[in-house]
Amino acid sequence: MNWRRNVSVCLLFICVSAFVTSKDGLFNIPLNWPKPNYNFSKNPLTKDKIDLGRALFYDPILSQNNTISCSSCHSQFTAFAHVDHALSHGIYDRIGTRNAPVLINLAWNKTFMWDGAINHLDMQALAPISHPDEMGESIEHVIYKLNQSKIYHHLFFKAFGDSIASGEHLLKAISQFMLTLVSANSKYDSLKRKESVFTRQEKNGYKLYKQNCASCHTEPLFTNQKFENNGLPLDLELKDFGRMKVTQNPNDSLKFKVPTLRNIEFSYPYMHDGRFKNLNAVLDHYTTGIVKSKTLALQLEQPIVLSANEKIDLISFLLTLSDKKFLFNTEFGYPKNILLSLPKD
Amino acid sequence: MFGNSVLQLNDSVYKLNKIDSIQFETLKFYVSAIEFWNNSAPVWIEPNSFHLMDASDSNTLKLAFKVPSDMIYAEIKFKLGIDSLTNVSGAIGGDLDPIKGMYWTWQSGYVNFKLEGKSNLCRSRKHEFQFHLGGYTHPYNSLQTISLLTSNLQDVSIKFDLKTFLSDVDLENKPSVMSPNKDALILSNQLGKLFKIKE
Repeated sequence: MNWRRNVSVCLLFICVSAFVTSKDGLFNIPLNWPKPNYNFSKNPLTKDKIDLGRALFYDPILSQNNTISCSSCHSQFTAFAHVDHALSHGIYDRIGTRNAPVLINLAWNKTFMWDGAINHLDMQALAPISHPDEMGESIEHVIYKLNQSKIYHHLFFKAFGDSIASGEHLLKAISQFMLTLVSANSKYDSLKRKESVFTRQEKNGYKLYKQNCASCHTEPLFTNQKFENNGLPLDLELKDFGRMKVTQNPNDSLKFKVPTLRNIEFSYPYMHDGRFKNLNAVLDHYTTGIVKSKTLALQLEQPIVLSANEKIDLISFLLTLSDKKFLFNTEFGYPKNILLSLPKD
Repeated sequence: MFGNSVLQLNDSVYKLNKIDSIQFETLKFYVSAIEFWNNSAPVWIEPNSFHLMDASDSNTLKLAFKVPSDMIYAEIKFKLGIDSLTNVSGAIGGDLDPIKGMYWTWQSGYVNFKLEGKSNLCRSRKHEFQFHLGGYTHPYNSLQTISLLTSNLQDVSIKFDLKTFLSDVDLENKPSVMSPNKDALILSNQLGKLFKIKE
């Protein structure tokens, strides 16, 4: 008897440690990852709220002339970045000033935007909705439009028990969909779970990453979420000083949020203004292009030295961060089935 | 209030001195954390205390509280604006819903106090002025704590005089303050001192 009891306790322990799962399995913390930063208790995930958020994410109704949706600049197949666009374009093809970042593992993010101007995932959507170069709308008018729509009456009622849309419910629903965008199934992750092994080249690349990149692009999220000046020369046209605009502190001049390296294979072009088209150009910058200034990241004061072969190895490691399961997960795509099942407007 | 008259939005014209004219279009602000005190201790604290006061809707300007019938108080305390914890708590409904037009979209945070209008003093386009005062982080935390001594009345009127406020504002050269910064902090500190019990 005693022996049996011990075994069952052991098994239970393994289950708990392997996967901390939300009660309904809608959100899982990958093995050995830190606790998410998002406070789920204030916005507990439900299938219906995630569905509503997904419908809103793919719906151009959020923009002034109903032409631009979140997905216009955040496509799933590029890990929700804007493929091949250095700077994204919004309504009437207006061009913004920054590169659309990937939308992955947002539950762990402490701040949002390249300069951290947004303090909470819930509030993030307000910025693109109202920016004149993005969606050019007002949240008040979005709510007005949603309340004219039978589809959204239905979806809001299913999600919140109230068919009338409010700003709070709209923002919480979009957060819910974005929270589900967890990317943790790359080759690197399967290696960490001891399900696969690196090639010799990838292994050497991983070593080089740990020596040269990891202090900012820290595992397992591949970002330390800090703001750093990575030595890019100032674009004299954009004159974007990054974090300093938010804090008004000159010590933050030219600092931008350290982006994740996950799915980097697909999130080109790179940097806050998309100035580098490929990873070779990025590594050339870090090895030979650093511009010294007062706020330069300490880690970059000494030059990074990489041979041509080492660059190839490092890139081969970076490619192990691609997560095809995430990029092609049908749960994250256009919500055809949700919208088809509803009455038409 | 403006001087001795009760403020009217839109068509009413006010004067700081003989030559200028001022009209108001918007006056909205948050009152939060309302507490009644007696003998230097709180006797009643309003739970979940966030109120958007909007001069265009007189209903919002009157607040009623369900307090114990035997409550005795000598002081009313409240905050002008939204505290920093609430500012970082994500989407909230009711008076704190971002659709109320009191939330900055491009940089997270509530606008604590919004005053808009026009004056011939302003050199800006259409002679407009806009004061969107807020900011919840150091060193520009503009939240104001206001304490007013009063007697144990059932109905209390609280006033603040925009004439005094605008007399200290450089309408000519700085008709717009719309982000958390040093100017917003200075103006917020001045506002905080203007709330008075109306006798």
